[in-house]
Amino acid sequence: MKPPLPPPSPYYRNYATLREIETRLKSIKNIEKITKTMKIVASTRMGKAQRAIAASRVYTEGDYEFFGVSETKAPEEQEKTLIIAITSDKGLCGSIHSSIAKTARRKLAEIPNADVVTIGDKIKVQLLRTNAQNVVLSFNGIGKEAPSFYESSLIADEIAKLGKYDRVEVLYNKFMSSVAFEPTYVDAFTAESIDASTKLSTFEVDEESGSTSGLAQYSLANTILAAMSEGYASEIAARRNAMDNASNNAGDMINKYSILYNRTRQAVITNELVDIITGASSLG
Amino acid sequence: MFRQSLRSLARVNKFAGVRTYAEAANSDVLKLSLALPHTAIYNNKAITQVNVPGASGEMGILANHVPIVEQLKPGVVEVIEEAGSTKYFISGGFVNVLPNSKVNISTVEAFKLEDFSAEKVKTLLAEAQKNAASADEAVSAEANIQIEVLESLQAAGVH
Repeated sequence: MKPPLPPPSPYYRNYATLREIETRLKSIKNIEKITKTMKIVASTRMGKAQRAIAASRVYTEGDYEFFGVSETKAPEEQEKTLIIAITSDKGLCGSIHSSIAKTARRKLAEIPNADVVTIGDKIKVQLLRTNAQNVVLSFNGIGKEAPSFYESSLIADEIAKLGKYDRVEVLYNKFMSSVAFEPTYVDAFTAESIDASTKLSTFEVDEESGSTSGLAQYSLANTILAAMSEGYASEIAARRNAMDNASNNAGDMINKYSILYNRTRQAVITNELVDIITGASSLG
Repeated sequence: MFRQSLRSLARVNKFAGVRTYAEAANSDVLKLSLALPHTAIYNNKAITQVNVPGASGEMGILANHVPIVEQLKPGVVEVIEEAGSTKYFISGGFVNVLPNSKVNISTVEAFKLEDFSAEKVKTLLAEAQKNAASADEAVSAEANIQIEVLESLQAAGVH
C-alpha cells in the first residue's frame, strides 16, 4: 500500500496564474486613476493657496515692520515656552508632516518642559507617541480649505486661555517654491516682550486702551493665520508632487505587468498547443 | 555710500521746493498698506492723506506723522488720493505709522461705504437692540457689539 501524499505546503510557490496577474493589473490601473485625480485636485487648489499666501504676506508685513522698527525681541532665557506646531489632518503628501514632527522633537530635546499646542491630527499623533506629556491642547478639522481669519482667531482665543507664556513660537512649513518647503519657527510676541522692546519709545502708544496686549492678541491670530496659509500651500504642493510620483510609479508598474501578462498568456497558449499536438500525434 | 547720500540730501535742501524722485521715495510721501487677511486693498501705495477711526478718537494721518501704534474701532477709513477720496468701512483692527511715513492698517474686513444697504442696517439694528435686552449674557454682549458696529455705520452716513 502506498503512503498518502503529504499535504501541499502553504509556502509552495508557483508561477503567477494569468487570472492573478490580471486582477493585479486592474487594481494598479485603478490606483493610478485615483492618484492622477488627487494630483489634479491638488493642482487646481495650488493657485488659490498661492494667492492666499500673497495676501497674508502683505497683511502680516505690517506687524513685522512695526516689530522691526521697535526692535521687539523674544526673551532669551527660556522660562516657559509654548510651541504651536501646525500641520493638517490629511496625509498622502510626502514628508511634510513628519518634518514638522522632527523639528518639534529636536526643540523639545532642548527645552524639555515646553508646552506644545498641535494644530492638525498628523502632528498630534506623531508627538503623542514620543512627547505626550508636553502636548497641552490640540485642534483638528483644519486645513481642508484655505485657512481663514475666523479659524485662526478662534485658535488664538483658546491658546490665550492657557495662561501666560514668556515665549510663544509658531512652527510651520514655510512655502519656498512649489517643490520646496522648510520647517520654520516664527516668534509670536507676547505683550510683555512688546512692552520691553528697546525702541518702543519711537512710537506713541496709547497705554490707557491697553494697546500692547490688544496688539499681542491680534498679532498672535495673524501669525497663526500666516503660518497656516504657508503650511496649507506647502502641503498642497507636496501632495501634488507626491501624487505625481505615485502616478508615474503606477505607470511603470502597469507597463511591467502588461508585459508579464502577455508573456504568460502566450506561454499558456503554447502549452495548450503542445498538449493538443502531442495528443493528436500519439493517436495517429 | 552714506556720505554720498547725505551730500545729495544737502544739495536738495539748497533748492528748497525742488522735489526729486529719491526724496519722494523717502518720507515726504505717505505710503499706505490697507490689508485684510484674504486680500490687500492697498499695497504700499502713495497717497495724500488717510483718516482712521482710532480707539482714542478719529485722526488724520499726513506724511511725516509721528510714529504711532493704535487700535482701531469699527468705523470709516477715508483714503485721500490726488484723484479723489475713497471711504471704506472697517471692522476694527490696528494701525501703525512707521518713521518713514508708511502707514499699515490691518483689519479683518473692509468694504466700500457705498456697498452697504441702509435698510439692512436699520433692520439689523432693530434686531440687535431687541437682543441686547436678553437675559443671556453671551447673547446681549454679542448684540451690544452689533449695535456698536451698526450705529457707527449709520453715523458714517450709509445711504
